[in-house]
Amino acid sequence: MKAATTIFFALAFAVNCSRAQLPPQISADVAAQIVMRPQPPVDSSQLGIISAQAEFDPPAVRPGEKTFYRVTINATQNSILWPDDISSPPELRLGSAKRGQLAQADGTPFHPLTEFIYEATPAAAGRMVISNFTVTVGTQSVEVPAATLDVSETAAASTPARKLILDVPRTNLFLGQPFQIRVLLPAEPGHRIEAVRDVQFNGTGFLTDKLATHQMIGGVTNGGAIQAAYIYETTATPIAAGPLTISVQGFTVPPFSAGAISITAGSGPITLGGTGQTPLVLLVSDAVHLNVRPLPTDSELPGFTGAMGKFLADKPLCSTNRVRVGEPLHLKTGFHGDGTLARFVPPAVPRSRDWQIIADKPPATGFTLIPQTDAATTTPAIPFCAFDPATGKYYDLTVPALPITVVGDGLPTQLADEENQDEPTPKLSGLAATPGRTTTALKPLQLQGRFVLLQILPVYGLFLLWQWDQRRRFWEAHPDLHRRHLARLALRRERRKLAATADSPTFARHAVTAMQIAVAPHFPAQPDALVGGDVLAVLGENEPEAATVRKLFSTRDARFAVTPETAAPLPAWRDEVFAALKKLEGKL
Amino acid sequence: MPVWGLLLAIYFCQTYCWANPANDSFLQGVTAYQAGEFPEAAAAFEKSAQTQPAAGTFINLGLAEWQRGHAGTAILAWEKARWLNPFDRRATENLKFARAVVQAGEPQLKWFEIASTWLPPNAWVWLAGAGLWLAIGALVVPRILRWRNSGWQQWLAALGSGIFIFSMTANIGVVSRTQIGFVVERNTPLRLTPTRDAETVSTLAAGEPARKLRTRGNYYFIQTASERGWIEQSSFGDITK
Repeated sequence: MKAATTIFFALAFAVNCSRAQLPPQISADVAAQIVMRPQPPVDSSQLGIISAQAEFDPPAVRPGEKTFYRVTINATQNSILWPDDISSPPELRLGSAKRGQLAQADGTPFHPLTEFIYEATPAAAGRMVISNFTVTVGTQSVEVPAATLDVSETAAASTPARKLILDVPRTNLFLGQPFQIRVLLPAEPGHRIEAVRDVQFNGTGFLTDKLATHQMIGGVTNGGAIQAAYIYETTATPIAAGPLTISVQGFTVPPFSAGAISITAGSGPITLGGTGQTPLVLLVSDAVHLNVRPLPTDSELPGFTGAMGKFLADKPLCSTNRVRVGEPLHLKTGFHGDGTLARFVPPAVPRSRDWQIIADKPPATGFTLIPQTDAATTTPAIPFCAFDPATGKYYDLTVPALPITVVGDGLPTQLADEENQDEPTPKLSGLAATPGRTTTALKPLQLQGRFVLLQILPVYGLFLLWQWDQRRRFWEAHPDLHRRHLARLALRRERRKLAATADSPTFARHAVTAMQIAVAPHFPAQPDALVGGDVLAVLGENEPEAATVRKLFSTRDARFAVTPETAAPLPAWRDEVFAALKKLEGKL
Repeated sequence: MPVWGLLLAIYFCQTYCWANPANDSFLQGVTAYQAGEFPEAAAAFEKSAQTQPAAGTFINLGLAEWQRGHAGTAILAWEKARWLNPFDRRATENLKFARAVVQAGEPQLKWFEIASTWLPPNAWVWLAGAGLWLAIGALVVPRILRWRNSGWQQWLAALGSGIFIFSMTANIGVVSRTQIGFVVERNTPLRLTPTRDAETVSTLAAGEPARKLRTRGNYYFIQTASERGWIEQSSFGDITK
């Protein structure tokens, strides 16, 4: 029965209270028309007659009971210079001021209306007065009249001060985790229900989603009983970690301006709206404290786009399993879950060398894939993950790679059109049978250091040539030294021949030649023209080797004798000959 | 001295004269190509080209890449073949054909770069070296050897100097041409800044020539026929690599 009542209420208010179940799909041109529609003018005729009203709501309470001190001024909020502190009796504790503004439609023009409200708690019985005071509105001073509060232990149990109820089911949240907020305004005694307009959430560190706003009349549990209430529901998202405080305020407004509607329900008749002019009243709620924790960063998986909740990924489907290079294919992916899909951000497009990837336009979550090469054998894996606030962990939703065949784009092997008949049509050549001349690198020698080093060779050659020329010039300037140098070289050659000679006559001939060479520069003369006496003149007549020299020359000349003299055996004089040559070389 | 001359001759012949026989990778590539297995053929020719760069290998590599549909890579391979051997008509014909198909332009060469295409790049540097030392030798050696001054010595020095000066301009052209490269992938984005998410200035076609101006990170700053921008190094084929 109670459920049927709730459904009936909802249907009855469907005309006036909009239900934003889905985000409104308003095109740009329609939105422009709404903005440009002529709005009722603001009534400026009463700007000169600004007045203020002040009252306690309710005006009589018991000590310790809460009441509200209200001041209503028919002016815009920005034009009012409101004092920071208001003088009040010491037994009356005032809370912080809250303020709200709306434009009250009274016929065609709008009337601005601003309301200031303080939560007041009397500590003792008595008659408490907040005396009149003056505020500046624009350029004029407006007097706020005095308001009186009767506080008595014997005061009849009055209707408690009306206020909004802020219902937040979850107060321990993660950063970015969307959560539901319900603003409740229970029916007044007599089951009279009022709606709330210009709902405003106070606090920092969170965002409310205007697109996810619902308004309805429903039953709420109050003291164990179901009570009818106006419900304003929306979604909020914390955007800052740490403790947050959130409260709400809004103006009451009768849902119907044409008069009240009475419905007979199980609990009795319910009146929707008011009769006649109902004053607009600013109501506030108690603050609710939230604890927002940051998301863990150490365990974050690749592809996190802020998805919060429990989601399931459908098996991805490719539009085809064989595609040519450059041809697009569609990869269909889907996600389901209990999270807020209105704020669901699809996986980000990964970067792939082999594929061009284009994401579908949200809210679709598919991808258009274009292969760039026939080397691709699978579609690219698309990393994605979500965060589960219930477990406090990320979980993987990566779209896996699917096998696919990519074939080349079939470039032609000959040109189709022969536009110019005069020129031969170019065509592809056949395979080269051999590599041809190979090289060490494609980098040219000009950019290689070794070629510069190679240029040292001709420099070195020129240096040698110059050195040879210098030497030649030196010999020309010193011919005696040159003769001795040449003699030394020739002597060494002859000594090598001597060392290799085995028989005595040949040895004697070479030894004589060597001695002639060794003494020739001293005269100077041709070596062949010198005789033993010339050698002895250089060597010294009294030297021990003189006898060896004589013996050598006589042995060499023995070939001209009638009876050849028998030469001494070689070992007997070899050492003496070398000693003589060494002495002669030393004189060069 | 004779030893140095011999080493030089061996080096020169080994580098420029000997036509090395086809290696295993080259033969595997030919077999795969004839069997229609173009990816395998391209991989084999690529391997062969890395170990022993040769004009014939690059021509075959270009053919295999063309059959795979990789026009940019094919054009780059044929440009490399023409770089190594400007007299190879197969590379020239293939390039003309490919550019007609993919509507890609030829590199815009300056006059000294055009002169450098008349001979292989390394020939110019040898020619410059020979010209220089011929001129120096014609001037220096007769004085050292005390030869009588004669006209042929001056003529030889003038000839060497002329060869050196002309080949130096061609050498500058060779060095300048090393900055030319080719876009190897289709629809390659030319970006405004060298970053992955940079704004795309335009999209380049495969095989489009461009001149490399500078490098930053994984990007080249290139100049195409009509615009400048940054391109990923992996999408740009360098002719000397």
